[in-house]
Amino acid sequence: MKIVVCIKQVPETNDVTIDPHTHNLDRRGLAGVMNPFDKNAVEQALQLKAATDAEVVLLTMGPDDYAQSLREGMAMGADSGVLLSDRAFAGADTLATGYVLAQAIAKIGDVDLIIFGRQAVDADTGQVGPIVAEFLHQPQITYAATLRLSGPNEVTAERLLEDTKQTLVAQLPAVVSVRSELNTPRYPTPRNIQLSFTKPLTTWHHDDLDLDDTRLGQAGSPTIVTKVYAPTPVKRALTPLTGTPQEAASQLIKALKDRQLL
Amino acid sequence: MSKPELWVVAERRLDHIEPTTQQLITKATRLAGDHFHVVTVLLEATTDHLEDELQPYGPDEIRIVRDDRFPTATDAELADALKQLIDAAHPNTVLFGATITGRSIAPRLQAKLQTGLTADCLDLRFDDETLVATKPSYGDNIMCEIICPDRRPQMATVRPNTFVAQPQADATPAITTAHITFHPVARLHVTAATPVVNTATTVGDASRVVALGRGAANEDTIASATQLAEKLGGRIGVSRPLTDQDRFTHDDQIGQSGNTIHPDLILNFGISGAVQYLVGMQDSQTIVSVNSDPNAPIFAASDYGYVGDAQAFMTALLAQFA
Repeated sequence: MKIVVCIKQVPETNDVTIDPHTHNLDRRGLAGVMNPFDKNAVEQALQLKAATDAEVVLLTMGPDDYAQSLREGMAMGADSGVLLSDRAFAGADTLATGYVLAQAIAKIGDVDLIIFGRQAVDADTGQVGPIVAEFLHQPQITYAATLRLSGPNEVTAERLLEDTKQTLVAQLPAVVSVRSELNTPRYPTPRNIQLSFTKPLTTWHHDDLDLDDTRLGQAGSPTIVTKVYAPTPVKRALTPLTGTPQEAASQLIKALKDRQLL
Repeated sequence: MSKPELWVVAERRLDHIEPTTQQLITKATRLAGDHFHVVTVLLEATTDHLEDELQPYGPDEIRIVRDDRFPTATDAELADALKQLIDAAHPNTVLFGATITGRSIAPRLQAKLQTGLTADCLDLRFDDETLVATKPSYGDNIMCEIICPDRRPQMATVRPNTFVAQPQADATPAITTAHITFHPVARLHVTAATPVVNTATTVGDASRVVALGRGAANEDTIASATQLAEKLGGRIGVSRPLTDQDRFTHDDQIGQSGNTIHPDLILNFGISGAVQYLVGMQDSQTIVSVNSDPNAPIFAASDYGYVGDAQAFMTALLAQFA
């Protein structure tokens, strides 16, 4: 069995600011780490690997320094990593990203299961998993809360909708995105960290894949970001509650009664 | 020439319409003015009458497709049905709720249509016939305006509770039917669907919220807050740091790609007020905050504030409720 886990590298913190002059995001000095939700996807793949001796391949698209997130995942226990890196891929939105990932998965070949984290913590879309599933004509199970192999060629997952719990059974190959509540990602052991540097990390460029150039990068992306800004919270006229907690609580109760909230 | 169509894809939630659908219809009718024809697309079983829950919100048209397989259809099957409807009618814009269902079907449809989809939007407007969608990024610390200039339909998923649903007194939408060919996907089946017993659902649905942050995270405080929420007929919500505790999930989180909320009343305990949190709850009607730090940013966004210990204040409040 072969499992591909698609991961993204994100800034280590979301406390980004806007440059007041250029109005661009100021990400200077922010180190990149594996998207935390993707660690749940890697962990899930490793648990399936333990149960079935599956091969776990990590896949990411981005600049060369995204290799460090692949190493991080291999230090957790994944077998190999593939980095899709080319200037032609830069500036891709979810559609153009999904296209290149799907073509790369086709090239990897004989993939039984593709796992995504629920979404990336920087862009917060969660769209790339379903896009890849559609491009590869595979069934999808999004936001899986549990996932297990239920047959030689079959997975069973539970999915929590807003107020319904669904159980789904998919014939492989299939795409699954996982909720973060599903597991606690393991930490790399010293031995696995050492081993990770002996595991294969392959970089594929534009010419290594079968690609339609009109679907790549910024030119292949239907959406354009026209403005980036920091939200400004609305200020209110504060009425202080004063004195002891008892006094303040009775002031509040009176105020809430006046507002017909009690 | 007929007006361009602005679609809201109706979502089912058990035997009812998901409230985000009604919120989106209200927003869509306001955006449309005289320029767009607002269509709510409803996929339902032959015995359903979910259009009764859409009609009061006043879209120009409710376009119904009936098939008994829809209530249990999977993402790919629903995306396929919507693709057929879009190919037949060429809408200008298609909107979904950014619910789990919406966020699963819409990108699948986007890939079929090779068009743009903006996720989890917090605002929408039109520049002529181009949709300008405001999307949070970096955990709601940054807002982006995103357009899809060249391809149609332009699509967006919109965060639940971003807009307020308002029925219209004189709503008389045209009810029409459309037809598609249902293509079953044999490789995926829903084998069970059970309602989750706790219908307190998410913090976004509560009209009263007791919110806890890093400064109110111990067992006693959580126990008092639970009592307080019960007395108020509300629900507990948390800021980002508390989602690291096992008992709280993203369904409980306010702000930061969690829930945007606008309850009648929110009581903030031990929450300093990061930007994404403030933006996530600033449309609440009455905002009360208790924090030991007099300089906490939360106070500038509050109607009532108390500088002091969260636990002591809660204890005093509970005593006076009794």
